[in-house]
Amino acid sequence: MGDEKDLLAGLVLELRRGTLVLSVLSQMAEEKYGYALVQSLEKKGVEIDPNTLYPLLRRLEKQGLLESRWDTGGSKPRKYYRRTAVGTEIYLELKKQWRQMAGGMDALMEEDEG
Amino acid sequence: MTDREQEMMERYIYQVTRRLPGDQRKETALELQELIGDMMEEKEMSVEEVLTKLGDPALLAERYQDITHCLIGPEYYDIYLWFVKVVLLCSAIPVLIAEIADIIRGEGAAYEFAGQANTVVSVIYGIVSVVPEVLTAGLTAFGAVTLVFVIMERQKVKLEKKQERAWQVSDLGEPAKRKRTGWTPGELTPVPDPKARISRGDCIVEIVFTVIFCVLLIFAPHFFSAVCREGEKVVFIPIFNLEQWKVVLPLFVLCLFVGLADNVVRLAVGIYGKAVLISSLICNGISLVLAVILLKVLPFWNPDFGKELAGYAGRKEEALRFLTRWDGSTASDILLAVILFAILLDVGTVVYKTLRYGKL
Repeated sequence: MGDEKDLLAGLVLELRRGTLVLSVLSQMAEEKYGYALVQSLEKKGVEIDPNTLYPLLRRLEKQGLLESRWDTGGSKPRKYYRRTAVGTEIYLELKKQWRQMAGGMDALMEEDEG
Repeated sequence: MTDREQEMMERYIYQVTRRLPGDQRKETALELQELIGDMMEEKEMSVEEVLTKLGDPALLAERYQDITHCLIGPEYYDIYLWFVKVVLLCSAIPVLIAEIADIIRGEGAAYEFAGQANTVVSVIYGIVSVVPEVLTAGLTAFGAVTLVFVIMERQKVKLEKKQERAWQVSDLGEPAKRKRTGWTPGELTPVPDPKARISRGDCIVEIVFTVIFCVLLIFAPHFFSAVCREGEKVVFIPIFNLEQWKVVLPLFVLCLFVGLADNVVRLAVGIYGKAVLISSLICNGISLVLAVILLKVLPFWNPDFGKELAGYAGRKEEALRFLTRWDGSTASDILLAVILFAILLDVGTVVYKTLRYGKL
């Protein structure tokens, strides 16, 4: 029984992992700092661990999809991220792909449900 | 944030950043400071709770680095496994044979000393010493092959990264439209004529035997001896000139390695064609020249072989007559003729198969 649970947890994780980039990109039209992003995603029912999110933000920045700046004006320095033009382009394309995929998946599930 | 909390946070951050490349440390430290502070404030969690949620610093550091965490990736894995097998055979078998040769010699020595009681002892002693020797040889070979493949794996990773960088410079601003230069069906080469294929098995057998021969020549040249019994005594009369072995051995081994190189090329290419033909001509040419130098110029044979052996030959007239006429140069001529024949046969086969079935 334990094995099945582990298997399921692994599969769910895998499923979620594929949607991470899209979830993050969707929230980055306006500047946000890391933890604000965690909270805004959480509020919308998308949970993401900070220890996954922060490295992901860094990677997306390296890939040119996000840009960042340090704000040292506040009580403590904060790093703000936002989408670049390229990031937006990719985001729109990904969104299209996602809709198509989700539609296809729905159709598959419905067919199964008879 | 209290001093203690600050201390805990700094410890955690240090554990993450020390695992990262130098240029990423400062920024990551700042980021984590921000994150830990935010989590404590907004969720009113203690520093312990926050750090527990963030989890093992080693894992977090791993997520910050996008390197592959495998020693040898799937691209090289198959050929790596295969190499390990061949090299293990090439290292373990010769050592085993050399050790057994030593035991037999030891047995001879034991006979000389005190008869059979010691024979058993020396054989047991020999077996006990064989196991670690073979293990060491195998482990060394395994380690060496693994190291080479690890380097290959890392170099490949680096090459890929370089390509990415080069591209970004030439095509700034549009990483989205990056062209993927992957595998295309156009790369498929036509299926070769089955007769043009070179048998992997043959190559491996030749490689393994060459290496075994080399190792024996280097570590156990006395293996190539005539064994005589004189009563209780066992005497070894070496065929080669072991007194001049330091001069002979390097060239001998070089000669064998040229043949080895040819076989490696065949193994790598896999079909008869230009590469195999050229390699075969060059390697066989070099082998022939080296063989002539080895047999005709260098003191290759044990000059006293015939004389010594004749001493143990007993009273058979014919054997005596043959042995007293033992002459290195005759042996060289015969051996050279055999080598020349073998080389012609090999080159002939390659030329024939290349012209008939292969592609030039």
